[in-house]
Amino acid sequence: MTVIECTSCDEERAAGASFCEACGRKLAEPASAVEPSAAKKDCARCGAAGSVGDDGYCEECGMMAGRSRDHLEADGGASGAAVSDRGRRHHRNEDAMWLAVGVEAADVVVCDGVSASFDPDAASDIAVRAAGELLASARHPDSPAGAVGNPDETAELEDLERPPGAVGLAGSVSHAIAGAAAAVASLAHTGDPRRAAANPACTIIAAAIRGPHVGYGWVGDSRIYWLGPEGPAQQLTEDDSWATHVIAMGVDPVTAMNDPKAHAITAWLGADAGPVAPRVRSFTADEPGHLLLCSDGLWNYLPDVAEFGSVVRDCLETADSLLGATRALVAYANAAGGADNITVALIPVRPAETTTAEQA
Amino acid sequence: MSYHAEAFQNEYLALGASEVNAIVTVTSTGGEGGRRTGGATEIIIVDASGSMQAEGRIAAARQAAKAAVECIDDGVHFAIIAGVSTAQQLFPAPGELAVASAQSRAQASVAIDRLSANGGTAMGAWLLLASQLFAQRPGDIKHAILLTDGDNGERQGYLETVLERIKESFVCDCRGIGASWKVAELRKIADKMLGTVDIVAKPAELAASFQQMITAAMGKTSADVQLKVWTPVNATVRFVKQVEPLVADLTGKRAEDGPRAGRYPLGSWGQESRDYHICVDVPAGAGGDEMLAARVHVMEGDTEHARCLVRAVWTDDTALSTKINRQVAHYTGQAELADAIQAGIAARESGDDRTATIKFGRAAQLAHASGNKATEELLAKVVEIEDPVTGTVRLKRKVAAEDEMALDTRSTKTVRVGRGQ
Repeated sequence: MTVIECTSCDEERAAGASFCEACGRKLAEPASAVEPSAAKKDCARCGAAGSVGDDGYCEECGMMAGRSRDHLEADGGASGAAVSDRGRRHHRNEDAMWLAVGVEAADVVVCDGVSASFDPDAASDIAVRAAGELLASARHPDSPAGAVGNPDETAELEDLERPPGAVGLAGSVSHAIAGAAAAVASLAHTGDPRRAAANPACTIIAAAIRGPHVGYGWVGDSRIYWLGPEGPAQQLTEDDSWATHVIAMGVDPVTAMNDPKAHAITAWLGADAGPVAPRVRSFTADEPGHLLLCSDGLWNYLPDVAEFGSVVRDCLETADSLLGATRALVAYANAAGGADNITVALIPVRPAETTTAEQA
Repeated sequence: MSYHAEAFQNEYLALGASEVNAIVTVTSTGGEGGRRTGGATEIIIVDASGSMQAEGRIAAARQAAKAAVECIDDGVHFAIIAGVSTAQQLFPAPGELAVASAQSRAQASVAIDRLSANGGTAMGAWLLLASQLFAQRPGDIKHAILLTDGDNGERQGYLETVLERIKESFVCDCRGIGASWKVAELRKIADKMLGTVDIVAKPAELAASFQQMITAAMGKTSADVQLKVWTPVNATVRFVKQVEPLVADLTGKRAEDGPRAGRYPLGSWGQESRDYHICVDVPAGAGGDEMLAARVHVMEGDTEHARCLVRAVWTDDTALSTKINRQVAHYTGQAELADAIQAGIAARESGDDRTATIKFGRAAQLAHASGNKATEELLAKVVEIEDPVTGTVRLKRKVAAEDEMALDTRSTKTVRVGRGQ
């Protein structure tokens, strides 16, 4: 996937962007675009040459040769990168991601389908699209006036006091997650009838970054970390999981994490989730660092925040690009077993003064 | 005509499992206003053997044949065969087909009055003549009705030889009148000719039965539809069965069509929906593997009308793999119901009351559990159903032959299950 330019204002846009941050125009299709169809592929399982049919199955042995979602990458150049991978044990990728970047700006969403539900891949897919599009169309505090909405509305809004940047972003994130929740809930009544019995469900993490301001929110056990210049990674989210819940109530963390129920999530998006109350927060960076969003396919292998920090920094230092570092993190989880789907997004964030300095 | 095919299955298999089951529902919606665009030919074969004189059967047959002729659409080719020890064409002139119009229908009606009952029963010869007449109209939707009241009098094996030659070349619905015909014999013909078999117990019911068959035949808009089933290397099709509206095993009717694919004849189609149960044995995959176990195409000649996929996904999650798909479970039960009834009747005939009681008991249980009321009522005429839930039944001392034959012929009739999972 490549960086594209906005045809209206020549602003550079990355793969996965659905809108132009500068002029607000809608761009081409988002991150999970279908790969171009090429000549028939060889079957990786039985080795038959050119045997993979249009529906993705080998015409000889019948094995699924690969889905477009098995491995997805979104390259936002220096502004962000995201990679989603099937892992080694699951038969399909039930994670989904959304990445849209602008200059010093990014919207990112990661969802992890709940395996116990039916068609969780559909849940995560619709959730990232719904949340991503809502973030894209939100009237962010720092976007140029008149970029979104009709001129009359903009004129009326001028007099209102704008909320501080990061707090306003958190509001957008909250709105986006609510939209994703409604979209996922609607799936229970469409398509395969088994969806009604075990409605599609997923977790969600979403973040909107504008300069030094970061708004983020979550439902479920996908996580967002902050990596400053040094020290351990800082987990910004608190899992909606049984283990986190009982640890908060005073149970010994080791005992809690060893319980079979440890990973059971206590909040999710889905028709059976009831009213979804996403937890949203915001901050303004005062030191340069990286925002890292990931599904449990990665953090399961890195429970210790100090180790997490050093692994991510190693990846950032050895790789020649942000995408390279993101790929390396996915490879790390796969090398450790790849027991679950893995999705990782990396967004660099710079504090206000360096932003101004570099732009000048 | 536009067709739609959909597979209902639980694609998740336990590790090591190799049997893949799916119910494929094929639905056709009437294109071109549901009207036929090609030709159609209808042949009515009426038994005119001496026994037809009894109970006013021949008079009823005449009346039914006339009623049937009235239902034939204008422009459809048709003929009437009188069945005796040979096949005699009653209408029009020997070797010819009439084109339906007000005039030709009136002429046919006059010819039908000449039908008299004296002679033998030679079903092989009757069907052979019908197939020769049909051969004049390649590409037509071809349908025949065969009415008889007795056993075939031809030498052993002749009917089978004829059926082997003409199988699937036209659709033949068979009706038996009275109680001295053999269900097994007509079922053999219906099976080879992709038709139905039923009993018409009373002569008075014959006209309605003929009208209903002709009307259904006139509603067909495609002559020869087939199910093409592709399976991967090292996989074998265990069976392909029609399971709704009737149970009919198509496994043995397979014709190879290129590498790893075969075609199963479905006969002619109108605006309707039928269900098929496909069972494939595949080499077991590893956890997380996904295999295409079968690709199912609805074909008419070289034209593909619809397709659907039967998948297999191996998982160590038993919560997923142990769920039996409701459609598969339901139709597995309906097929077992038909088998249990036929086995029960066979056991009763051979004097094995113990086996008959067990089989009928199981049948009563299955019919009740699946909501197949029609079959449950037919069973109740043959056995006393004491408790349908546990399948406790008692054989009746006296059973009318017609009731037992009705149960036998209609044992293959199934009911649909709600589409919820």
